[in-house]
Amino acid sequence: MLKRFIGLLFVIAILSITTGCANRATAKLTPGSDLSNIKSFYIVQSPEDLDTCGLIKANLEKRGFTATIGSDNKPAYKPDAVVTYVAKWMWDITMYMLELTINVRDPASDFPMAVGNSLHASLTRKSPEEMVDEVLTNIFSAK
Amino acid sequence: MRPLNIKDRFLGKHYPPVLFVVVLVLMLYGCSTTAKHEGMTPLTFEPGTKHPKTVSINVVGGEEFDGLGRPQISNGALKQALADSITKSQMFSAVIEGMKSDYFLMITIFSFDQPVFGFSFTVKMEAGWTLKDAVSGETVWQEAIKSENTATTEDAFAARTRLRLAVEGAARNNISQGLEKISRLNL
Repeated sequence: MLKRFIGLLFVIAILSITTGCANRATAKLTPGSDLSNIKSFYIVQSPEDLDTCGLIKANLEKRGFTATIGSDNKPAYKPDAVVTYVAKWMWDITMYMLELTINVRDPASDFPMAVGNSLHASLTRKSPEEMVDEVLTNIFSAK
Repeated sequence: MRPLNIKDRFLGKHYPPVLFVVVLVLMLYGCSTTAKHEGMTPLTFEPGTKHPKTVSINVVGGEEFDGLGRPQISNGALKQALADSITKSQMFSAVIEGMKSDYFLMITIFSFDQPVFGFSFTVKMEAGWTLKDAVSGETVWQEAIKSENTATTEDAFAARTRLRLAVEGAARNNISQGLEKISRLNL
């Protein structure tokens, strides 16, 4: 009976070794971009992830910014910057956020001014709030 | 008594189910194979306008693998694919190294969205394209270009190859769109 699972355990072990504790947290600022003058953000709600935008809004407000959420790429008013995001979820006993990418864009051209990305696999998983905080902290400290 | 070979010793009569699991994992789990510049170069591209100017290329934001070992795009591979595409299509008179060109093309890979496992791999990519006049330093054109590509089991059986093909296809589509837009510029 034990031997039956040796192969399976081997495969699972390989997967755990290669993905279980992978980490990455990066952010980059587009040359010529300056985030210091931004006061207001418009967050575009992703149809594939409706909840993360609320966490981004709360985090930006905690930092003293004005933030609104909308589903349209073109807001009715002119914000200082537009935020888009991609959140990737995985299942391992429970659901967790594997990867989060946040783009801060110029509202006029849609060109990214800064982008941040965090990836934490199962063994080093973080809560969605912590993922959002990590990405935004890295974006605002990017040079 | 017959000596046990490796298969009998470790897997015994459960060899078929274990083999099935291993094959399934190989099919579903994609990592560790580098995207190549040949696969990112558009096969055919006819520019609307051929610019009789020289250009130099710089690519930033790329990396060979992400934190999970999934293939991404290295700066060098994308730069080579772009240079090959421009040279082949003669969109600019020459691609040169250094700062002595007429134009400076900078590509920034902003985001890369790809699956960890599955049968059908869809890779999405966004890159910022900036074309500058090398003499005045003025930005002539700037745009963020989104592209995607899907590779299925018909393209490749092994997941690692399938993911590489999806990555290369997304980059190829991005290059096609970018060059198409540059070819419409009046330089």
